[in-house]
Amino acid sequence: MIGGQTTRRLNLSLLAVLWGAAAVSAAAGPLRIHTVNYPLQYFAERIAGPHAEVVLPAPPEVDPAFWLPDAAVINQYQGADLVLLNGAGYARWVGKATLARSRLVDTSAGFRKDYLAAETAVTHTHGPSGEHAHTATAFATWLDFSLAARQAAAIRDAVVRLQPRLREEVEENFVALERDLLALAQQAKALGLYAKGMPMLASHSVYQYLAEAYGLNLRSMHWEFDQTPDGEQWAELEALLRRHPARIMLWEGAPQAGVVARLQSLGIRSVVFEPVANRPGRGDWLSVMRANLVRLEDALSR
Amino acid sequence: MIRIQSLAFAYRDGEFRLSIPEFETSAREKVALIGPSGAGKTTLLNLIAGIAVPDQGEVTVDGIAVSRLDDARRRDFRITRIGFVFQDFELLDYLNVLDNILHPYRITRALTLTAEVRDRAAELAGQLGIGDKLARKAGDLSQGEKQRAAICRALLPDPDLVLADEATGNLDPANKFRILDLLFDSAERHQATLLAVTHDHELLPRFDRVVDFSQFRAEDRS
Amino acid sequence: MRDSLYIAWRYVTHNRARTGTLVACVTLIGFLPLALEVLLDESERQLLSRAESTPLVVGAKGSALDLVMNTLYFDDEIPEPISLRAADEVAATGLALPIPVYARFRARSHPIVGTSLDYFAFRGLRIARGRQLALLGEAVIGAVAAERLGLEPGDHLVSSPETVFDLAGVYPLKMHVVGVLARAHSPDDLAVFVDTKTAWVIQGLGHGHQDVTTTRDPSVILARGDGKVVANAKLVQFTEITPDNIDSFHFHGGAEDYPLSAVIAVPDEVRAGTLLRGRYLEQDTPLQILRPRDVIEGLLENIFRIKQVLDAVIGVVGLATLLAIVLVFALSLRLRQREIDTIFKLGCSRGTIAQLLAAEIVIIVGLSAAICLVLLQIVDAYSGGLVRSLFL
Repeated sequence: MIGGQTTRRLNLSLLAVLWGAAAVSAAAGPLRIHTVNYPLQYFAERIAGPHAEVVLPAPPEVDPAFWLPDAAVINQYQGADLVLLNGAGYARWVGKATLARSRLVDTSAGFRKDYLAAETAVTHTHGPSGEHAHTATAFATWLDFSLAARQAAAIRDAVVRLQPRLREEVEENFVALERDLLALAQQAKALGLYAKGMPMLASHSVYQYLAEAYGLNLRSMHWEFDQTPDGEQWAELEALLRRHPARIMLWEGAPQAGVVARLQSLGIRSVVFEPVANRPGRGDWLSVMRANLVRLEDALSR
Repeated sequence: MIRIQSLAFAYRDGEFRLSIPEFETSAREKVALIGPSGAGKTTLLNLIAGIAVPDQGEVTVDGIAVSRLDDARRRDFRITRIGFVFQDFELLDYLNVLDNILHPYRITRALTLTAEVRDRAAELAGQLGIGDKLARKAGDLSQGEKQRAAICRALLPDPDLVLADEATGNLDPANKFRILDLLFDSAERHQATLLAVTHDHELLPRFDRVVDFSQFRAEDRS
Repeated sequence: MRDSLYIAWRYVTHNRARTGTLVACVTLIGFLPLALEVLLDESERQLLSRAESTPLVVGAKGSALDLVMNTLYFDDEIPEPISLRAADEVAATGLALPIPVYARFRARSHPIVGTSLDYFAFRGLRIARGRQLALLGEAVIGAVAAERLGLEPGDHLVSSPETVFDLAGVYPLKMHVVGVLARAHSPDDLAVFVDTKTAWVIQGLGHGHQDVTTTRDPSVILARGDGKVVANAKLVQFTEITPDNIDSFHFHGGAEDYPLSAVIAVPDEVRAGTLLRGRYLEQDTPLQILRPRDVIEGLLENIFRIKQVLDAVIGVVGLATLLAIVLVFALSLRLRQREIDTIFKLGCSRGTIAQLLAAEIVIIVGLSAAICLVLLQIVDAYSGGLVRSLFL
């Protein structure tokens, strides 16, 4: 028969090349890592250090969770050695884009069972497929810092798989990052204990993981920090306050002064707690997160 | 030239027997053979040409005992020394006139086909009035043209003896004499002997001698 | 001999019909088995090279041949579907790279192959014009498919319903052709490649429609309340995925349950392949893992058995034809007796007559051999494409 040993060997070496394509290309230069949000970019930069060029193609002004890249940007993603996904339904465009499975790393795949449900889901029925619902999972997983550490671990594993020779250095970097994340977790846990189930509000439903992990009694509004809520929204708030007498409201960004003042009149202190899904104007993910916790601690202690 | 003595011949089926006690022609003589159909005139020509071999007796042409030659030599003798104009022409339909005329040169080593032979063939065909028909397939010729092609083929090797079996049989009177003249001229030019079977009594005065075949004993038992 | 050949040539060209028939017969006797041999050799080469370059295929238990032919050649015998979980399981072993293949649908008789980007790298497929797949609803097409369908990047291609009676509500999807592959001289040239997710949209597992929570058209919404909306068939379902509506496209249920026809598993070394195969030995798994090479070799053995029978048949037919030719010659000798007599009378020996006849045979066989050779050259030159269009 045609082939035999030589062809087989050839095939195998070809496959080895394919399977380790990223590793081979990486040997020539730094790993090209693309991420779908800033937390993953920050983690990957910390873990791979100078051995990777970590790119978040989303422009700074958008929320990467709802951003839809065009074909040219997707082609950039296709050229990366690793594409770090947040999982948990984050960045729905990933489900509509063509990417190489072998280069995708779902950093939250290890804790799928710990995903939290999003609060808003509408089921609907039409056509032969019966009743179905759209989007069901909360995705800001990194606000549970322990889960963030597990996402970082997944990144470490992926980098080591592609660059086994960097194992020690990567491990060292990871341990340092993990230490920082666990310190955040420690701090957040303490705040949670301190808050003792005190009712709190969130301008938007992004803090599910933070609330769940650290025992915060949080209810979400649908308020945008850069917009003034209308009368209906205020009424909604007042109705909620009767059941849920909150004294603190977490905001994704700095709310308008008028809104802060009106909330203040209702006895509610506004606290900016940035999820930092995209690159912050100043500092990095860790410094912003630390500042978030300091602000929350400050609000709680008053 | 031709000497036949005590010749006896029978076809294999035994239905036709011919015996000729004696027959002779001198060199360059022009002899007409007449006689009724089935008398054995064609058979005699075949015996002289060595196409058939007598059961008894001898056929000598120009001092050579044709009947005693082996097959190969008899063929070579026939092809080089005897020009035979067959009664039904014996042309090959799939060859053109020129190829038919040159055919003997292509089937035996005894004759060599040269450019000179080709020229001569063309010239002879011209003399016979078929110079413009050389490229025509033999099958496409009229009877008269076929006859001239057959004569051309017989005369081309300059034979010492020309045997003509009804050579003018299919021709109109004008052509009949023209062809006969040609045969006579050619025989004359090559100092050849001419032995012609004919039924045409008009032509007989032109011959040196007329031999009536009825004098020989022929039996046709069929 | 030259004169004999000349005369014989005159004879055969004069009797054109007879010569033509004889040449055709002799040519066929020689050509048929040789051409068959060339085509079979080529099909063996193609089948094996494709099979050898595809190390392992995971699919539903059932016909191994159907599974391999569908996965490698996008044959329209579609194996039982498996789920995307099968690919995840292969990935989870860390032993092999899984490449999903969902070759079920067709577009104007060309197979639509749902797969991932890894497939292109694995097969060494290069984009000749346009760009690689990027978004849902896009298609990259093989060189031959592009040529036959007259498509270029920027054009559209609509998926065909599975059957004429496909009334289950699966809408044909208008796909955007974004790229044309360079010719690969393989079944990939005929295929229309899409992302597996696009294939699922074609199947109706993913869809896009008007936003039921915001539409106010009372004729669309049958009931609303308690976080639940019931819409009727009037709800506009998109049959083309555009930048404007791509956001509305969504899939229901867990992606891991979505169907594939097979998973190509590319192990990183022989041992990994062996280990991976070991995992599918249990009786209770609904999956099977195959080495396409083994399956194709089995198929080839059958083909060769058929070929042996065919060879025997051709042999017998050839012999009969040869006998008929001998008979034709013998009969023609009888018909030509007068002509032979003439040549003989002119002074030709029997040997020369035999030589003339032999020359005729040489010319006929020579002509046949020449035609046969030219035909075989043509078959050989086009065998690649011929085999692909005839068998694969």
